[in-house]
Amino acid sequence: MALRDDRVGALLEGITRRRKIIVSPEGVPLDVQISGRGERLAAFLIDLVLMFAAVIFIYILGILLIFSRTNASVGLTLILFIAFIVRNLYFLHFELAWQGRTPGKKTCGLRVISRDGGELTPTAVIARNLTREVEFFLPLSLALSLPAAGGAGFWQELTLLGWVLVLVSLPMWNRERLRAGDLIGGTLVISMPKRALLEDLSLEPPKEGPARTYVFTHEQLAVYGAFELQVLEEFLRRPKSHETSRLLIDVCQKICRKIGWDSEVPVTEIRRFLTDFYTSERADLERGQLFGSYKADKTDTPSPKAKRG
Amino acid sequence: MTVSTGARPTFRQPAADSAQTGAANDQPISGPRRLGPESENLARSALVLRSAEFRKGREAGWRKLDDMVDRLEKKGLSTLSAQEVEELPLLYRSVMSSLSVARNIVLDRNLLLYLENLSLRAYLAVYGPRTGILKNLGSFIRRDFPENVRAMRWHMAIIFALLMVGGLVGYLLVKSDMNYFNLLVPEWLAGGRGPDSTAEDLMRTELFAPWPGFVDTFIVFANSLFRHNTIVGLMAFGLGFAFGLPTVFLMAYNGLTLGAFIALHADKGLTLDFIGWLSIHGVTEFLAIILCGAAGLVVAEKIIFPGEMSRLDALALHGRRAASVVAGSVILFFIAGFLEGGCRQLINNTPGRYLMAALTGLVWFLYFTKVGKAGENGSER
Repeated sequence: MALRDDRVGALLEGITRRRKIIVSPEGVPLDVQISGRGERLAAFLIDLVLMFAAVIFIYILGILLIFSRTNASVGLTLILFIAFIVRNLYFLHFELAWQGRTPGKKTCGLRVISRDGGELTPTAVIARNLTREVEFFLPLSLALSLPAAGGAGFWQELTLLGWVLVLVSLPMWNRERLRAGDLIGGTLVISMPKRALLEDLSLEPPKEGPARTYVFTHEQLAVYGAFELQVLEEFLRRPKSHETSRLLIDVCQKICRKIGWDSEVPVTEIRRFLTDFYTSERADLERGQLFGSYKADKTDTPSPKAKRG
Repeated sequence: MTVSTGARPTFRQPAADSAQTGAANDQPISGPRRLGPESENLARSALVLRSAEFRKGREAGWRKLDDMVDRLEKKGLSTLSAQEVEELPLLYRSVMSSLSVARNIVLDRNLLLYLENLSLRAYLAVYGPRTGILKNLGSFIRRDFPENVRAMRWHMAIIFALLMVGGLVGYLLVKSDMNYFNLLVPEWLAGGRGPDSTAEDLMRTELFAPWPGFVDTFIVFANSLFRHNTIVGLMAFGLGFAFGLPTVFLMAYNGLTLGAFIALHADKGLTLDFIGWLSIHGVTEFLAIILCGAAGLVVAEKIIFPGEMSRLDALALHGRRAASVVAGSVILFFIAGFLEGGCRQLINNTPGRYLMAALTGLVWFLYFTKVGKAGENGSER
C-alpha cells in the first residue's frame, strides 16, 4: 500500500490531502503530504507576529542602550532598517538552521523540502525567500498607500497591485500549493505530523486461555481484502468507549453475516472475536501477498493461479 | 541488525500457518465453528504473521532512529553524540530498506504509516541543510556570486540596452520640452528639482550641498536609499514572473528618469558635474539594478521558453542561480547606499567623484570577471 491511495484515511478521517512522491537519493520513493493553504497561512501569521515582536524588541533595546538622544527621523529610519533586515533574514536564518522550518512552520508541522528530492541547498532557501518582499510586503504597502495616491499615481499603483496580486495568488492555482518563491527555489512545503508506532494488534495477548479463541477458514477470510482489514484495524485502535463498543458490535454483526458465522458472539467477546478475525485475516492476506496475489478489497479478485482449493 | 534489501524477500513459511490452513480447508465453509479439542492446540500455537516477524527484528533500530531524529529536530545536530552521528546514516539506510520491504509484505496500517513517516523524517534529517547563513557567505562571495553573474551576461546586456534606450528617450523628451520633466519624474524623486531650478540652486542644494553630518548621511539617508533600491531590485526580479513585462517597464522607466535628470542638468550646463555626482554611487547602484533586472529576465525566459525541461524544472534550476545573483546585489545596494548617503557629500569636487566612480567600476569589473574562475571548470555545483 502506498500512502497516495490511502483509501482508509479517506474513508475514516476524510483525509483528501494532496500527495506527491519525491525520490530520495537512494532511489526510494517517499510519499509527502502537500501542506494546505490554511496551515501555511497560520504558520506565516505566527512568523509575522514573532518578527514584529523581534523588531520592537530590538528597537527598544537600541533606544535604551545607544540612541537615547536621537531625533524622530533617525528613530524612524532605524526601525525601518531593523524591520527590513529582520524580515529578510528571519526566514533565511531559520529555514537554514532549523532544517527548513521557521518557528511558525514548526508549530504547524510544516517543512520546506527540495522538490527534486535532493538536499535543500542554501541557494534554494535564499531563492524562495527573496520573493517574499514582492509577494507579501509590497502588496501590503501598495494596498495601504492606494487610498493616499491621487490621480495618475492611483492608476499606476493599481496596475502594479494587479500584477503583484497575480503573483500572490499563485498558490491557489497549482496543485502543489507552490508560491512564486517555491517555483524559483525548486522547493515544496510539506506537512509532516509525527506518527507513533503503536502495539501490533495481532500480538495483543489475551488475559487467559489460548492465543486465539476463534478460527476461521480460508474461504471465510477470502471474503475481505486489505482495505477492509485496515478499516477494521483503525476501528480496533480507537480508544475504548461506549461509542466504540457500539461500533464494534455493528462491525461484528456485519462480518458474521458476510462470512456466514452463524453462532452468536457474546457482547463481552466481541473485541476478542474481532481481534482474532483481524489477525487471521492479516495472516491470510499477507501470505497471499507473498505469493503475488494482493487483494486490495472485497471486490478485488487476485490472480487465479494464487487461488487455492 | 540485518535488513534484506530485496523488494520481495522470502520469509520462512511458519509451520503453524500451513497447519491452520490444512485444518481449515477440511471444514465446510458455512459451518460456524467453536474450537474443537483438536484445534485447541492449533490456537495455542499462535499464528505467525510475516509482518509481526518482520517488525520484531527491526523495531529496536527504528525506535533508536526515531529517538535520534526527534532530538535532532528539536535541538539540532549537536545533541547527538559522535557515535550517534556515525550511526545516523546507517540507521537511515536500514529504515529505508525496511520501508521498501514493508510496502510489499506488511498490511499493518499503523506500522506502514509509521515507517513512511520515520523514513521521511530521517531522510530530511540526513539531507536537510545544516549550515547557517554566515558559513555560506564565504563561498558565496568567493565563487557562486561572480560565477552566476557571468552566466547571465546576455541578460545583463539586454537590461543595459533597455536602460540606455529609456535614458535616451527621457533625455530627448526633456530636452525638447522641459515640462516633460515633471511628467516623467515623480515628485518625491525630484525633491524640489525641476525646470524652474536654477543652476545655482542645483549646485547649492544638490551637487555640492554641504555635508549634513554623520548621523543624517550614514544612517538616515544611506538607509532609506538602501531600502528603496533593494525593494526596486527585488521587484524587478520578482515581477519577472509576470513574463518579465513589469521588469522591462521598470528598467525602461528607470532609464527614463535618469535621462530626464541628465537633460535637466545639461540645460543648466552642469552635465559633467551631475554625472560625477551620480556616478560615485551610480556605478554600483546601476550595476545592482541591472543584475536584478537580468535575474528577473532569466525567470521570465524560463517561464516563456523552458527548453527541453518542464517549466517547473527549468525555473527551479535557473531560478536558484538568478536568486543568488539578486541576493548578491542586495550587498551591492548596501554598498551603493553607503557611497551615496555618505561618501558623495564628503568628496565635494567633480574630479574626485569621477576618480571614485572609476575605482568602484574597476573593482566590480575585476571581481565579476576574475573571481571564482578556477571553480568553473572543476567543482561546479
